[in-house]
Amino acid sequence: MEAKTHTGSPASEEDLVANEYLTFTLGSEEYAIDILKVQEIRGYEQPTLIANAPAFIKGVINLRGIIVPIVDLRIKFKLGTFDYTPFTVVIILNIARRVIGVVVDSVSDVISLNANQIRQAPDFSGSFDTKYILGLATIDTRMMIVTDIERLMTSGDMELIDSASE
Amino acid sequence: MAIDMTQFYQVFFEESAEHLAAMEALLLELDIDNPDSEQLNAIFRAAHSIKGSAGTFGFNDLAETTHILENLLDRIRKHELVLRGDMVDAFLECGDRLREMLDGHQGRGQADPLLVEAICTKLRQLSSDEVASEVLDLVDSAPAETLSVVQQESFEEDEVAVISPMVDSGRRVYDIQFVPTAISARGDGVANLLDELRTMGELEVITQPHGKEGEGFWEVRLTTGADRESFADQIDFISDNGAWRIAEDTSVAVDGSTAFGFFGDSPGVPDSVRGYGFFDKSAEARATAETDGLGSDDAYGFFEPLPGELLAALEAVAVPDEGEGYGFFAPLKTPRIEPSAAAPVIEEGDGFGFFSPLPPVAVEVPSILDASKLASIALSGSPAAPAAAKEPPVLARAVPKPAAVAAASGDSSIRVSIEKVDQLINLVGELVITQAMLLQTATQMQEQVPERLTVGLAQLERNTRDLQESVMSIRMMQISFVFSRFPRVVRDLSSKLGKQVELKTSGETTELDKSLIERITDPLTHLIRNSLDHGIESPEKRVAAGKSPVGTITLKAYHQGGNIVIEVGDDGAGLPRQKILDKAREKGLPVSDQMSDQEVFHLIFEAGFSTADQVTDVSGRGVGMDVVRRNIQEMGGRVEIDSMIGVGTRMTVRLPLTLAILDGMSVAVGDQTYILPLSYVIESLQPEPGDIKTLSNQGRVIQVRGEYLPVLVLPELFGIKSKWRNFTQGIMIVIDADGTKAALCVDALIGQHQVVIKSLEANYRRVTGVSGATIMGDGHVALILDVSAIAGMARSMMQKVG
Repeated sequence: MEAKTHTGSPASEEDLVANEYLTFTLGSEEYAIDILKVQEIRGYEQPTLIANAPAFIKGVINLRGIIVPIVDLRIKFKLGTFDYTPFTVVIILNIARRVIGVVVDSVSDVISLNANQIRQAPDFSGSFDTKYILGLATIDTRMMIVTDIERLMTSGDMELIDSASE
Repeated sequence: MAIDMTQFYQVFFEESAEHLAAMEALLLELDIDNPDSEQLNAIFRAAHSIKGSAGTFGFNDLAETTHILENLLDRIRKHELVLRGDMVDAFLECGDRLREMLDGHQGRGQADPLLVEAICTKLRQLSSDEVASEVLDLVDSAPAETLSVVQQESFEEDEVAVISPMVDSGRRVYDIQFVPTAISARGDGVANLLDELRTMGELEVITQPHGKEGEGFWEVRLTTGADRESFADQIDFISDNGAWRIAEDTSVAVDGSTAFGFFGDSPGVPDSVRGYGFFDKSAEARATAETDGLGSDDAYGFFEPLPGELLAALEAVAVPDEGEGYGFFAPLKTPRIEPSAAAPVIEEGDGFGFFSPLPPVAVEVPSILDASKLASIALSGSPAAPAAAKEPPVLARAVPKPAAVAAASGDSSIRVSIEKVDQLINLVGELVITQAMLLQTATQMQEQVPERLTVGLAQLERNTRDLQESVMSIRMMQISFVFSRFPRVVRDLSSKLGKQVELKTSGETTELDKSLIERITDPLTHLIRNSLDHGIESPEKRVAAGKSPVGTITLKAYHQGGNIVIEVGDDGAGLPRQKILDKAREKGLPVSDQMSDQEVFHLIFEAGFSTADQVTDVSGRGVGMDVVRRNIQEMGGRVEIDSMIGVGTRMTVRLPLTLAILDGMSVAVGDQTYILPLSYVIESLQPEPGDIKTLSNQGRVIQVRGEYLPVLVLPELFGIKSKWRNFTQGIMIVIDADGTKAALCVDALIGQHQVVIKSLEANYRRVTGVSGATIMGDGHVALILDVSAIAGMARSMMQKVG
């Protein structure tokens, strides 16, 4: 579904520039990420375990000759059930010149959002994931959590990237 | 068409660096008392090439400095000066300065202009102070010689061309024709060349291209005492792809100008002039010309030596139907017809296709052309019309004579960017994986597989392996690339430290991956400096110890298994065990007297560790050895030290042959597959009940051939569920990493593969105990175990226990 309605008061031109977002669900929550960060979407395959990695890092897969780590965001955010069905989806992201796969429950839409449609998220201090939330967007009755996926994936919390000190 | 010169800079930098390296190597090899003239020539050529290209590209500082260097070198190789040790030093220093300039132009650092000036002055001095004395000497002796020396010297001394009108027997007239490359025509290339030639003798420009910036055909005549080799290189350098020619005209040596047949614009030139038709040099053409009533005049064909491409183009335009448009002669801007000039063309044969490519044209010519037309064609082609002159004997002169062949011999190598090679290697890696996948599928299908498919797959496997090997060998370079720089290091350092050291190298032809070559240089340099500074004693001490005052450093490379081993040995004082231990205690490192020599020696790799009594500018700050070890470990290698007090020290560096492919043993742990680099595997065994003992109920050990080895249970280390409950169901693989042995317990051995190493860090991070990943035949990822790290786990485990 393409949401082209511009709600809210008219603002500066910049605000009206719409970006496209890919939305996916984790449990009952719906997330939106910048579509330009998405390389492809594919089915889940059993990855190779990585020794002593946190539980949400499922392992690595062979993506046409590239070794790609797979992160299960459902485990990371403690959302949804962790079973892997033929319908489980992996979103392959291109972030900070790295390729990372993310397991989600399902991919739903590609939507256009302009800055006006994204509202400030209330500040839940202490909860680790709010700093990766750009805002909340509403389309029809659905609320989408617009996520700064790059910041999330490159953060120390994800343990995907060597910290500089090492 | 504007050419972006910068695109050629990189090639120039690389080439110049190579020339400098070659020059340095030759200088170091040079026997000062009895220099080999071949070597001197080679050094000169190297300097000369740098100068030529630097001038072309407009790097004047380089060109000027090299010019001075070249002058001196030239005099030495001509035996006007006697080579001395200080000259070699000056040359080497000059080479350093040039290298700095090169780096400077590439944006890395800058040459110190003072130092450059200093070395230039030094070289000039070396060149001139000898001149005086030598000329004096010579004046006393035979006057004729003096004359020639003075003359030659004047050429050297600089741009003043001293030309004596008198003809001396050694002078020859060269006829030089060339088409400069667009680049050299645009820059100062041609002007420089002409200046250069002027310094050699009398130069007359016969033809020069009209119009834009000297692009086109040049013809000059040089009367000189020098031989053709002395300028052939320059001309070759400046000219387009072999489009040059030097002919020696002996017949005109005495009176240069007359023999050069310039013709009037009409065919009616007096017969006495040696004129040759400019039409077609094929015999057929000549025949047809006769039959077609060109009269009794014999028209002698003469073709410009056209490079292959041009020739092809010419063939195309030379179709007879095009009538007057015979572009045949278009590129020939020279009116001069000089038979002997044709000779080298014949010799050069290749690609110039003297006659053979043209017979069809020649045959057609008579049918449509009459004599006048023929003449007019010739006229249209060359400004000064050729005359049909009769001088049949001239043909004989056009017969090939043995002469120097064109310098540009076929290149035996090409420059390819490393990215292209890497891409190729990656693709081959993919191919290997696909091939393995196919093979596995076929194996699973067993009997259902048609025989032809099996045979085909076997063939594919062989071919892939061959392909992989050849592709990998592209990246392989001889280790002499690294070794060749060490004679210099040793030479400089030993004179600085007042030590006498001889460097012996062996195994220079051992091949190693290029990326390793690049990365091994610094660590090896460090090891050698270390040996020189700390290992080799001063001559006095050596004599006192009953050794030869000249110390020896040996540098050795060889293959061992899947590794390349590089040894840096010295016959110096050896590592003082006690001193190292004391120092370690001082620094608060955990040491004990029971440590093995190996372990003690390895302490010198600790950061900030130095036993040197005083800090010199060579070494002693304790920085370096830790970097050496780290660098080597990053390459997947390791360092070992053997040392004996008073006898010497030997550092052994072991490196994998390549970073891209590894011989591995695949092992199963639970449902996972891991790859164990084969080079670390010693043996595998199935333990009997009771073989495994525990130490203070923590560490487990197993006795293998009388040795107690720590047992590392891979499932435990990696937190994987294993299928078995009891060790006797598993397999023990005895590994040896960095001299530490351990037994690694896995579920099963699967097989042995060559695996393509893929980085885990590209998209993920470092994982302890894992050095990389690979893709197995079924498309799954298998992790490659980092045996050193795992052995490290074993060591720390043993320390905890002990």
